[in-house]
Amino acid sequence: MDTKAILDHQFTVAAYALTWAIQLGYLAWLGLRWRAQKRNAARSARNPR
Amino acid sequence: MKKFALGLCAAVTVALMAWGFYQAIYVAPDEQTMHEVQRIFYYHVPSAMVAFLFFAISLTGSICFLAFRRNHPERAQASDAWALAGAEVGVVFCTVVLITGPLWGHRVWWGGGDWGHGTWWTWDPRLTTTLVLWLIYVSYLLLRRFAAGPQVQALAAVLNIFGALDVPIVYMSNRWWRGAHPAPVFGGGPDSGIKDPAMLHAFYWNIAAWLAWGLLLLALRYHVERQRQRLAAQQAQEAIEA
Repeated sequence: MDTKAILDHQFTVAAYALTWAIQLGYLAWLGLRWRAQKRNAARSARNPR
Repeated sequence: MKKFALGLCAAVTVALMAWGFYQAIYVAPDEQTMHEVQRIFYYHVPSAMVAFLFFAISLTGSICFLAFRRNHPERAQASDAWALAGAEVGVVFCTVVLITGPLWGHRVWWGGGDWGHGTWWTWDPRLTTTLVLWLIYVSYLLLRRFAAGPQVQALAAVLNIFGALDVPIVYMSNRWWRGAHPAPVFGGGPDSGIKDPAMLHAFYWNIAAWLAWGLLLLALRYHVERQRQRLAAQQAQEAIEA
């Protein structure tokens, strides 16, 4: 494999890995937010003002 | 039943993602001039298409919010949740486009030499208008996150409507002006289009996969926003009653 092919491979892997990191990171953030909100709703139902 | 449907949708999406990845990496042949790095195309272009679709959903949500806000408050809130969900998931996909594009461009817009000192970014019309689109929608999300008061939703809806005007400009930019970005894959003239059927199939599978993934995120984000709205309304009601 020549240097150009190795670099091409590394850039392709980087693009795929970063895409997945962004998408899964967003999904994880959304999941955490959902869970926090469910807890807030449960707390609010238990202790109405 | 609802959980089963959600699980089934998630399973279909994961299967599509895996199949799309397999098609892009193992089935589609190497492109003749760009070789392996051209495979970024199978993530870059579908992400851009899905981002455009979600900005269109967001625009529709904002228009409906402004139309319903006086006479149908519940419908207006649901429309606003769609607008927010569309904008947020659209920004995620647009971020992917703005990251994968320069990675691809750096190898293709290449000055020569073994190590490749290519260009990460150029103020090409397509790149510039896409960056402007991303900045507009990030400012929309920041407005929603940090501004307070009864008019925030209406102001955000107006910003969304003006921001969405950039979508057709991004789409047409490499038709109207010449730049470093490649010509459109579809509808770009008699020579446009993917000729190799294996490449075309890989492209279509990845569009389906990213669309399914995006719709799942959109539904989840909508649900979270509706939950937040209900909780906020409930707390406001309790505060009035106290």
